[in-house]
Amino acid sequence: MDRRELLKMVALATGGVMIGGEFLLSGCKNEKSGAVAFKPDDIAFLDEVGETIIPTTSSPGAKAAGIGNFMKVMVTDCYTEPDQKVFMEGIRQLNEFCKKKNGIGFMQATPQQRTALLEKIDAEAKAYQKEKNEKEAKLKEEAAKERNKTIALSPNHYFTMMKQLTLFGYFTSKPGATQALRYVAVPGHYDGCMPYKKGDKAWAT
Amino acid sequence: MPQDTAHVNINSGGVQKNTYDAIVIGSGISGGWAAKELTEKGLKTLLLERGRDVVHIKDYPTATLNPWDFTHRGRMPLKVTTENPVVARCYAFGEASQHFFVKDTEHPYVQEKPFDWIRGYQVGGKSLLWARQTQRWSRFDFEGPERDAFAVPWPFTYNEIAPWYSHVEKFAGISGNKDGLETLPDGEFLPPWDLNCVEKTIQQRIMQQYKNRYVVQGRCAHLTKPNPIHVEQGRTQCQARSLCERGCPFGGYFSSNASTIPWAQKTGNLTLVPESVVHSIIYDEKLQKATGVRVINAVTKEATEYYAKIIFVNASTINTNLILLNSVSNRFPNGLGNDSGLLGKFIAFHNYRGHVTASFDGPQDKYYYGRRPTQAMMPNFRNVYHQETDFLRGYMVHYSAGRARASADGIGAAFKDAITEAGNWYVSMMMQGETIPKETNHVRLSTTEKDEWGIPQLITSVAYDDNDEKLLKDFLTQGSEMLAAAGCTNIQTHDSKQAPGLDIHEMGGVRMGKDPKTALLNEWNQMHHCKNVFVTDGACMVSTSTQNPSLTYMAITARAANYAVEQLKKNNI
Repeated sequence: MDRRELLKMVALATGGVMIGGEFLLSGCKNEKSGAVAFKPDDIAFLDEVGETIIPTTSSPGAKAAGIGNFMKVMVTDCYTEPDQKVFMEGIRQLNEFCKKKNGIGFMQATPQQRTALLEKIDAEAKAYQKEKNEKEAKLKEEAAKERNKTIALSPNHYFTMMKQLTLFGYFTSKPGATQALRYVAVPGHYDGCMPYKKGDKAWAT
Repeated sequence: MPQDTAHVNINSGGVQKNTYDAIVIGSGISGGWAAKELTEKGLKTLLLERGRDVVHIKDYPTATLNPWDFTHRGRMPLKVTTENPVVARCYAFGEASQHFFVKDTEHPYVQEKPFDWIRGYQVGGKSLLWARQTQRWSRFDFEGPERDAFAVPWPFTYNEIAPWYSHVEKFAGISGNKDGLETLPDGEFLPPWDLNCVEKTIQQRIMQQYKNRYVVQGRCAHLTKPNPIHVEQGRTQCQARSLCERGCPFGGYFSSNASTIPWAQKTGNLTLVPESVVHSIIYDEKLQKATGVRVINAVTKEATEYYAKIIFVNASTINTNLILLNSVSNRFPNGLGNDSGLLGKFIAFHNYRGHVTASFDGPQDKYYYGRRPTQAMMPNFRNVYHQETDFLRGYMVHYSAGRARASADGIGAAFKDAITEAGNWYVSMMMQGETIPKETNHVRLSTTEKDEWGIPQLITSVAYDDNDEKLLKDFLTQGSEMLAAAGCTNIQTHDSKQAPGLDIHEMGGVRMGKDPKTALLNEWNQMHHCKNVFVTDGACMVSTSTQNPSLTYMAITARAANYAVEQLKKNNI
């Protein structure tokens, strides 16, 4: 598996291509990053969100991969200003949603409460992002026929961002690549036909 | 001012100290070969490179890093991609390789029509970054322009260049299978890589159902089993890491840095001077030949002149055009050797726009190990023996198959388990189409914009034409049909609409040809009107063929360098 296959999997699992960085290459010249301020509490919060998406099993979970800090780096450096705002606001929204549902904040919730909450948000986010992307793909196709026509994009869903960054960050981290997947830095040779059985891990790279 | 020779600084020791037998401009794939051949024949050779020095192994800072060692895990910060949209579109540009690419902001040029000019300014040039696929061109490729009357005839035949292909293949190390195909001549091969089981099934099915369409293992410049000549270069077997664009500490693939430059240095005849931006070639009106080059130091901007009996221009296709266009004199007011007015014209490239993707119901109990640096290849099957379509020429096809990561919905432990397994097989197919060189597709110097070194900026005016659109459409149709015939499902076609240049196979502008009225170089890559200047990089190409060009640049360079040495010995130049 290479990075492209990871990105394809992330897109399938979240209903849309990776947000941020290299995918706005087809235009959108005025998009740039803004200033974002992550507090230590935000990192701890994102660690728990990541850990709920990719929990510790027989291999380490997303928290052990430092996922909160990774999200901070990627949102700060690779997201556009509108996406950054959605992400930061998403931390607050997620917590409010948890309070409304469980009477306590996400950090205080039990693992079961967290899982139930994020399962619901995940399903909503995926449906939202999929519909948005399909609609906008059509608009873009039509806009491409006319010169200089721009289209207004609706915002991305904050949970799509959190899930994408968790999956991408985890599987490219040391524990994710070497323990949840198989990683061989120096294969030494190529074998085009090796046995595989159900349950065997995929290659990390 | 650089143009003013009165202010040129001749280093202490004067003219003599700056005089060599030969000067090679550019240290990429072809420049490295020129330096190797000339120094081996005993010529004191000055190798000029506009970028910084990159020493094999020592200057590959990311070569052994793991994915998690990179801050953004290989992706690029938004600031970099928005400020440098051209280079950011290159598939090989990323956090691990960015130090070997020119950023748009560092070296601006003027795009009259969109042209993604991908550049590597360092010792080794783009030989560190290339995709390393190395097929010989066939006689059909060399005979094409004359048969189809779309360009001047190539001034040599396949049989004339074949021994030079052998010469460079043995030294560079090319892996491949001997397939016995007229459309894809065999070479001096190291053992081939292998196709995986799904690629083999598709290969068999396509070849069963299509007469005269062949699928072979890709040929590439990787040491599958080093010979003594490669060990002598200090190179070892390719480790199937597929991190090539970072520079290879094993010397597993061919680059100037791993191979030709250290080889030339061992002769004791090479002087390598990085950070030397060549401003122009000096022409002596009395002697009626070139006497040297004018160089601006990339950092200090100081001007220097170097002198030699012969000059090889290997600055990369577009920059070679730029240097010659900027080499003006009373005799050549429009650029060196440019009596025909064709310098900078007939730029062509490869059409990479089409992709076909599909699913394949492959064996769930098979996988693969290691990361192979090549794929399955299909030599062109269109218009080979005679014209049979409504477009000229054809395309090569590359495909590969792999297992996707298993996908799943949801979050949590079961989700995690599901997505860590290997998923279903997919197939990805791409084209490499020949484009027709046209006088309108050209580069020229800006009369208003200059770069930091006082050299006019280049204007690119290169575009697709109707033939390219038809050829693309044909590939998408044929590719889909072949994958369907091979049993693929969910077949989808894509047009990347990428601009010319992103193929990084730009060729021409200083083309070869026997007639000085229609070509700038003769059959030995000498300028028709300035016999001691040789151009042997992509700029010399008459046509593009459907095949990757670098191996042909190497062969042409070695051939021309040996000819130049002979002529020098005979006092003919």
